[in-house]
Amino acid sequence: MALSVPDVLTALFLGFIFGWVLDKGGLNRYYKIANVFRFTDLTVLRFMMTGMLVGMIGIFTLKHFGALELTAVTATVLAGNLIGGMVFGVGMALAGFCPGTCITGIARGQLDYLIPGLLGFLTGGVIFGALYRTPLVQWLLTAGRPDLAYAKLPDILGVDPLLLALVFSEAILLFLYVLGRTRLRRPDDLEKIVERERIEAGLEERPQLQGVGD
Amino acid sequence: MKWLLKQLQRDLWSPEVAGIGLGLVYVLALLLSQRAPGVSGTFFNIAAIVGKPLTAGDPANQFFVTIFPPVTETIGWQFWIVIGLFFGALASVLIGGHFKLTLIPVEQWRDVFGGAVWKRWVIAFIGGVILQIGAGLAGGCTSGLALAGGVQLSPAAFLFIPGIFISGAIVQLLVYRDKY
Repeated sequence: MALSVPDVLTALFLGFIFGWVLDKGGLNRYYKIANVFRFTDLTVLRFMMTGMLVGMIGIFTLKHFGALELTAVTATVLAGNLIGGMVFGVGMALAGFCPGTCITGIARGQLDYLIPGLLGFLTGGVIFGALYRTPLVQWLLTAGRPDLAYAKLPDILGVDPLLLALVFSEAILLFLYVLGRTRLRRPDDLEKIVERERIEAGLEERPQLQGVGD
Repeated sequence: MKWLLKQLQRDLWSPEVAGIGLGLVYVLALLLSQRAPGVSGTFFNIAAIVGKPLTAGDPANQFFVTIFPPVTETIGWQFWIVIGLFFGALASVLIGGHFKLTLIPVEQWRDVFGGAVWKRWVIAFIGGVILQIGAGLAGGCTSGLALAGGVQLSPAAFLFIPGIFISGAIVQLLVYRDKY
């Protein structure tokens, strides 16, 4: 599919907004990603779930009125999606970034994102491509692949797409509400240290008053 | 106006406010370009510059030929997303006056792992390698699979996301130990 000029401009514009919100969401900081896996800072979950909620309602409403079509995205492969996700999670917890947040992390001037981070991704890319034909990789890429690998949940379950999107949205809303109301973990010493470091680096204006509004 | 400028300069927004913008990006991408943004694919396209000649000896391996051809041969829509991604974050950082060259993360890293730069750089590199292999196996990353698939109710995303959290939590348990 050849790229038109409007397509390029749209991609640049959408990428720009995407990069902006990743930075404002704090997703391009090591501690935000590292701590979601410690369940002490749920920013990443709250950011992603809100994005999914808004995206889902928007997309399926527009689809309902025939304004857009879904894309093929990724094939469903039980082994690949799940085990690939688990491999991905190891890297994400260790590094404290993922591909998109590495790019946006470079924009803050973080040289550990620019040099070892990017080099790691490219090295991993070459390694994966070189191992692509090996039996293990081929097994992971095909094991548990249904006939209709690109089918979406509404088709699989045979329900109205907009209805299912609204059901999912309700679930996400409930999830966000619970996340907002409860602390999964008590604030730990690290959290206080991070707050002090952010004030010292001029990233936060003033310390939050303890106990007020809690 | 002053309020707006102050908001644009803030280092962090509430995750929900930023998340609304994230959702709109995916709606507009599907509406305007019939595509969903993803990042890891472009990393494969760049890796292909080295990977294609390296795997040329095995004609059966079409990974860097048809699936992810070198970015020097064809530049796709996702490439421009990645370019935009960088400049969007850069604009946010510069408006806030938060640009600063650093070798290790400003927050938390030093307190847990110490100030040695080599340690952070080795782990960032290894993490990057593992991330890209994981993205290859899963068929995308946080943007092109978890989000792009999630907003479109693709089962792949709902297998991928729990996978990340299962292993991510285990890794942090092992790495942080008594600080977990």
